Amino acid sequence: MSIAATGFETDPDVIAENRRAMLRSLWHYVRLNARDYVLGSIYTLGYVVGFIAVPMLVGWAVSAVAEGLPPAEVARRCAWLAAAGVARSLLRFVSRVRLFNAAREIEFQLRNDLFEHLQRLPQSFYFHWRTGDLMSRCVNDLTAVRLMLGPGLLSVVQTPFLFLAAFGSMFWMNPTLAFLVLLPYPLFVLVSRALGRAMHANNLAVQAGLADISNQLQESIAGIAVVKAYAMEDTSRRRFDEVSQELYERQIGMVKVNGAMPAITGLLPMLGMAIVFYVAGGQIQTGEMDLASFFAFSMFIYELTFPTFILGWVFALVQRGTASMQRIDEVLKTEPSIAEPESPAEMGTLRGEVEFRDLTFEYPGGGREPALRDIDLRIPAGSVIGVVGPVGGGKTTLASLIPRLFEVPRGHLFVDGVDVNDIGLHDLRSQIAMVPQDSFLFSMSLADNVAYGLPETEARSVVEAAERAQLAKDVEDLPAGYETLVGERGVMLSGGQRQRTALARALALDPRILILDDTLSAVDAETEAAIREGLERVFAGRTVVVVASRVSTVRDADLIVVLDQGRIVERGSHAELMAEGGLYSRLAREEEEAGEPGTDADPVAGAALGGEA
Amino acid sequence: MSGPPGMESVFQEEELGKAVDMRLLLRLWQFVAPYRGQVLLTLLMVAPMFLLELAPAWIVKTGLDQVILESNGGAAAAGNGEAAAAGEGGALAALLQGPEGVPLLAWLVFLYGIAVVSSALLQYLHMLIMASTGMAAVRDLRRAIFDHIQKLHMGFFDTIPVGRLVTRATSDAEHVAEMFSQGIVAAITDVIKMIGFATALFLVDAKLALMVFSIVPLLAIALVVFRLRVREAFRLTRVLLARINATLQETVTGMKVVQLFTREERNRREFAELNGAHRDGWKRSIYYDSALFSTVEFAGGITVAIVIWQGTGIASAGVLYVFINWMRRFFMPLRDLSAKYSVMQSAMASTERMFQLLDTEPDIQDPPADRARHVHAPGEDQPRGEVVFENVWFAYSGEDWVLRDVSFRVRPGEKVAFVGATGAGKTTIIKLLTRLYEVTRGRILIDGVDLRDLPQNELRRRVGMVLQDVFLFSGTVADNLHLGRDDIDGERLRQAAMAVEADAFIQRLPEGYDTEVRERGTNFSAGQRQLLSFARALAHGADVLVLDEATSSIDTETEAMVQRGIHVLMEGKTSLVIAHRLSTIEDVDRIYVLDGGRLAESGPHAELLARDGLYARLHRLQQAGETAAA
Repeated sequence: MSIAATGFETDPDVIAENRRAMLRSLWHYVRLNARDYVLGSIYTLGYVVGFIAVPMLVGWAVSAVAEGLPPAEVARRCAWLAAAGVARSLLRFVSRVRLFNAAREIEFQLRNDLFEHLQRLPQSFYFHWRTGDLMSRCVNDLTAVRLMLGPGLLSVVQTPFLFLAAFGSMFWMNPTLAFLVLLPYPLFVLVSRALGRAMHANNLAVQAGLADISNQLQESIAGIAVVKAYAMEDTSRRRFDEVSQELYERQIGMVKVNGAMPAITGLLPMLGMAIVFYVAGGQIQTGEMDLASFFAFSMFIYELTFPTFILGWVFALVQRGTASMQRIDEVLKTEPSIAEPESPAEMGTLRGEVEFRDLTFEYPGGGREPALRDIDLRIPAGSVIGVVGPVGGGKTTLASLIPRLFEVPRGHLFVDGVDVNDIGLHDLRSQIAMVPQDSFLFSMSLADNVAYGLPETEARSVVEAAERAQLAKDVEDLPAGYETLVGERGVMLSGGQRQRTALARALALDPRILILDDTLSAVDAETEAAIREGLERVFAGRTVVVVASRVSTVRDADLIVVLDQGRIVERGSHAELMAEGGLYSRLAREEEEAGEPGTDADPVAGAALGGEA
Repeated sequence: MSGPPGMESVFQEEELGKAVDMRLLLRLWQFVAPYRGQVLLTLLMVAPMFLLELAPAWIVKTGLDQVILESNGGAAAAGNGEAAAAGEGGALAALLQGPEGVPLLAWLVFLYGIAVVSSALLQYLHMLIMASTGMAAVRDLRRAIFDHIQKLHMGFFDTIPVGRLVTRATSDAEHVAEMFSQGIVAAITDVIKMIGFATALFLVDAKLALMVFSIVPLLAIALVVFRLRVREAFRLTRVLLARINATLQETVTGMKVVQLFTREERNRREFAELNGAHRDGWKRSIYYDSALFSTVEFAGGITVAIVIWQGTGIASAGVLYVFINWMRRFFMPLRDLSAKYSVMQSAMASTERMFQLLDTEPDIQDPPADRARHVHAPGEDQPRGEVVFENVWFAYSGEDWVLRDVSFRVRPGEKVAFVGATGAGKTTIIKLLTRLYEVTRGRILIDGVDLRDLPQNELRRRVGMVLQDVFLFSGTVADNLHLGRDDIDGERLRQAAMAVEADAFIQRLPEGYDTEVRERGTNFSAGQRQLLSFARALAHGADVLVLDEATSSIDTETEAMVQRGIHVLMEGKTSLVIAHRLSTIEDVDRIYVLDGGRLAESGPHAELLARDGLYARLHRLQQAGETAAA
């Protein structure tokens, strides 16, 4: 969950402030589309006039027939009625288009803003927020906001006027009857509001049931090898049946409530009509009321049905919409803690010197031990440095700070002697290439993946990079070569191919600083040896940081640092560290005993670059 | 999965086709058939529901013409239609006259009340039965799909992303349920009602009805045109939204790479473009949808004017009332016909996809009962655990042989290891022995019985498998050890866990064996997960063990525990180890060296070394590596 997820806040001031902030951002977007909203509202008011006019004109025309007025007069009145009907439909059309378009426009702007914002948030943000949670805000919450600002707002603008105008006209015609007809409406609004809430609750329950089903299925399929190996089909079928039945029951519960809504809405005008029928029937007989009013009344009652029905729904829409806006706001108001410097230093081409000065780093979010402590480390331009140590020692953190994936305190990390906080992000990152542990690929073509970091116009080094990463030979075997689509997260490629693609993507940048974070675990040893050979040429003239979980991977590095619990506990060349007899030599010995010469996939070639993911 | 339900479907761009496909509907019927009584009931209910919808306006008309305006003296002459309709049924006329002594108006209002209340009740009931039938049918369909998925062979899962299968049983199933509640039945009911209202109007006054319906063809053309436009735009927005959400999800998941490669600006541009196309699609859709909406409203308004204008002199006020009321009911369904159409379309597409899945035959099936053999029928010897591969060939597809003519025999209680480069076919041996895949040629025997003649359940209880990546299910630690087998009690679990040294860390967990496993076991280290899988295999007590040595990084201390665990696990069992490190297997009975799918060498460690072949070379390379490291 999020750090400050909605609903966990108990301080009333904070709740009120969050709400105000949410309304402010809503207002911001509404104002951006002020023109549409103003025009839409004006058209809506016009529609209200038409809404009143039609029933009145029906009564007027019918009474002409009933009173036996000449056909010309009837025709004249009918023409008026038809004209009003046309005008009303047109106004309805333009107001709907205006307001709904405005809502879509806001959806567009909000989605763009969310996307842009998410791209600016640092990696630490993604530690706290799960993808599913973020997606739910970008998909479900955005829809809820859009519904509130489109149909919701239309109804909020329109319904009060409709009711005022309709009942005003009815009171003008016949106060007693108007009063009697008005009676059931407040009750109805209450009922529909309660039903709306129940509908929402039931809907959530059904959604949760669907999520259960989907989790159950996902798990059974992901673990299908175990399911089959342990012949547990019956057990998992039983579990699935349970959640499936549970969903079914919740769905029935939902239908019971949801169905009550149209039944009651259908009933309301009919009961109103019964009142009119009885009371007006009597009054017409005594001459207190005319036929025109009778028809106008009955028309009004029917015409009000839909807006009333919608009203119950609108309560729910607004409630959900504001809650959703608050959830979206939570993301939007998270300040990107990694900001562009106000006046970035002129860097030009980096030499590639990196220096950590007494750096202590703690992941934001509080309460945790610092991931790195008192790091002092100078990596001269053009040198190869190895970083090893036990799991959780801070190796990846150290590597991730150089391209500033996390917020680095000022005065502790320098590239070419300049504080990283003063270097433009693009300047910095375009010259540093990091190959992260998980070789994440995008669902585009292989070539596009390799060229991911290159400017659009520059396709130059794709093939070259692929060759260096020992990927080129594989590409020949792929159905569409470099244009092969790699699928979601690169599922079309083998693990080794994915890692080499990620490597090629980094090499394509021709970076000044290259960071390999335990990169080649799924590459078999022979290929790895070949990559290694290719890399030696690549390494020349660059600063290279190799993070590895096995010491044998880094033994040729110019300098090796050993990280343990966030501290540099040893540093030196392989020979020095072995002589020292500390953690490094112990790790090396243990690896040796475990028969680990540095390759793990297959005992073939000697030197290996990456350990394991 | 952490995402909300339906999230997977964003990756699928839905192809929409026909709204009604009889072939699919007929197949769907088999799931509805158990509830055919309910279906029949909903159909039978349509007639009374329709009559109850007709009634109120007719009652008001009777009141207007016979009571209200009669005594007022201001009524127009009763129309011909009214006379015709009144003559129709003596019973109806009698009912509308009411009992003696009750004022007619009061009686009519009473009838009116009864009609509207029972109409509402009936509609509610109808909807309830209709929806619950659909949901029950879909629940059964979902079960069938789940059952079927479990039966499919492993190869199937290599080709299809998990998310797509999940979609079959979630969103696709929901679409079909929707068809029942808002699609097909509702559409049929609507059409019947529209025909009914039109007929009733003609019966009341044919001439007036003809006048009014003269605008229907025009209206129909407008509706069809608008609906087609809406559908086009709607289809486009659907595809675009799927792409938008897929892009979003991918970008969020791969945000580290996005930022490392400073792709933000270009992503922003491309995303805004996609997002803009989606918005424009919606604007088009809104335009035509509103036009549709207004056209229906417009038609409703104009027909009222026509009715009144043309009714002069021929229709009473009551007839005018009936016309206005029924016309409105006639036009109402037109408004959301297009919505129903799209519900049907997506339901058909979903049904098609679900049946496609159900039609996928599992490649690997149990032997027919008469051919099924049991390794140890009652009275026979205890299972011995002999494994024989006889000229086994295997290819995942076509002639890409992964194994070529592999033959070997592992005697009961022996321990053997398989070594070789990646792609040499080591892992395939496991997959074939557990029959997750079927041999292409040759055969595999376990205690003399061909695997294909052995029920899969039995095979898998005999052959324990420990895989490289350990899969943990949600549930407790204990659940993950016994995996639903109720003959494995807590004591047996503990003993197994103790034997492989997993007990100690399990005991340290907050709730011991009852601790919940979170998100596929992320609350356990790789080493702990390995130990859990050993305990699992040990508790299940198979007599043949296949073990794929883990390559994932484990800290050296746990590594030692894992090695000890492996030894405990293999004790007294026929064991086949897929080895990734040579040092761990030096003491096995025999080592098989695979090269390009062929068995290149076999023999004990020392013998193979002496032979100075492939194994010796591998071993030397490793030695060299160690010396270099030292």
